[in-house]
Amino acid sequence: MSGFEVIKSGIFTLLQDKGRFGLTHLGVTNSGVMDEYAALMAHKMLDNDLDTNILEIVFGNVELKASVDSVVCITGAKCEFFINEVACPTWKTYKITNGDTLKIGKVLDGQRVYLCVKNGFDIKKEFGSYSTTIKEELGGLNGKQLKKGDVLPFIKSNSMFGNRLKQIHIPTYDEEVLTLRVLLSYQEESFAKEEKEKFFSSQYKITPDFNRMACRLSGEEVHSSLNGIISEGITFGSIQIPKNGQPIILLKERQTIGGYPKIGSVLSIDCFKLAQRKVGSYVRFEEIGICDAQNKLKDFYNIFDKE
Amino acid sequence: MKINLASVDSVIIYFGDEISKETSLIVKQAYELIKTSNNKAFIEVIPSYNSLLVSYDIFTFDYETIKSFLENLLKDITINDSEEKSIITVDVYYGQEVGLDLEYMSGKTKLTIDEIIQLHTSKVYDIYAIGFLPGFAYMASVDDKIAMPRLENPRKKIPKGSVAIADNQTAIYPKDTPGGWNILGKTAFELFDKKLESLSPVSIKNQIQFNSISKEEFLSQGGVL
Repeated sequence: MSGFEVIKSGIFTLLQDKGRFGLTHLGVTNSGVMDEYAALMAHKMLDNDLDTNILEIVFGNVELKASVDSVVCITGAKCEFFINEVACPTWKTYKITNGDTLKIGKVLDGQRVYLCVKNGFDIKKEFGSYSTTIKEELGGLNGKQLKKGDVLPFIKSNSMFGNRLKQIHIPTYDEEVLTLRVLLSYQEESFAKEEKEKFFSSQYKITPDFNRMACRLSGEEVHSSLNGIISEGITFGSIQIPKNGQPIILLKERQTIGGYPKIGSVLSIDCFKLAQRKVGSYVRFEEIGICDAQNKLKDFYNIFDKE
Repeated sequence: MKINLASVDSVIIYFGDEISKETSLIVKQAYELIKTSNNKAFIEVIPSYNSLLVSYDIFTFDYETIKSFLENLLKDITINDSEEKSIITVDVYYGQEVGLDLEYMSGKTKLTIDEIIQLHTSKVYDIYAIGFLPGFAYMASVDDKIAMPRLENPRKKIPKGSVAIADNQTAIYPKDTPGGWNILGKTAFELFDKKLESLSPVSIKNQIQFNSISKEEFLSQGGVL
């Protein structure tokens, strides 16, 4: 099998795509890339199908050895990136040849690095998606994170395609406070005016309880007049407020149903930005209306549309 | 019926304010109507006790048009309990070495273990929702005499296949997981099986009845003590 041999896997490297859809009625989560901007941009730069797969690398320390020619693209968190020991900038495509070694060292700014090859890795989808969900043992390579010795197969490509993203489109992840736009929704009426005011005027700190499932925040408490609700479907970005008043933002590997009151949901584009934030950094909330939110989301996906 | 905003690309439809069989039947009916409309713009439809979460393609619908589309689609919905439901029989071994809380339940309810088993197997249960874990089906309602609050100290690990009760609900754990339900027995029945095209043999449309089997039968079905 030709492709990448995994020399170093890093501690949490997953194969992902846009997610696994249509099975939430059975309790199967969507999963998928945490930062769609970085992942879709990588595919666009390689002129890939946007539904194909990509590596999501947290914490770096990945080394891959190629046994076939192709083109790769690396985006997302700012990191040390070397091809055959030569430092290379990210948000750029690179032609690689048989025998080349790719190394992702330390992650310097942001949380998640994305690496894909021309036409994606040649693996099978599982239940409609490449996305790895470890707790469900679905997707990726045997439903697990990458490990040393794995082979990531891909088909040879002699594409001469070269692409580099303009600096202005490359995000930075270091502003002091990230603003998350929120649609008031679900049980928002159970939050009194003063509670909403607190919610929108406070800064919240990202706690270490931040993973592919959810991001727990700490800061000013907000309370619902409801103790709990009858369990109901949870969408990407939902903000649950448990009894302790500390918001939890639900992300790609969330449970499909849950029984905490929800004040609203974070606009998905802003969840992608959140995915790159460090534990200990701050977020604040800002209200957005549904028309405006849908237009923003359409604009976002239109960037990646092929003409 | 009330349609609320859920997120930028989803709405939640409420069919009532409480858990009841009638509400659940309406949810199931609405779920079927949406599924059979075969509209590709519906990305996810998650049924639960009294609600349906619908995620949709915002390039097809905006918030106002999805609301009117759903209101129109669901406007004539009525309870229909005449439809044939397929009952799935789940064999359970109610031995004390796997039914970890049988003795505790017997003490609490003043029923013998045999009476508890008899009550648990005598009813046909409806599935109200599937979630928490893939294939974890919330079934109700158990006989009031064996309804039991969750354990005060949840277990770190509930073994896969455990059949359990919390309040008036009953469920089967599809995999090893922490949990606080009262365990009555164990089954070899797989609720989440990658070999199945549908991933799970159950859906909210099914009904479940439990059947008490011997230790030998349980073991011969591949059950693990």
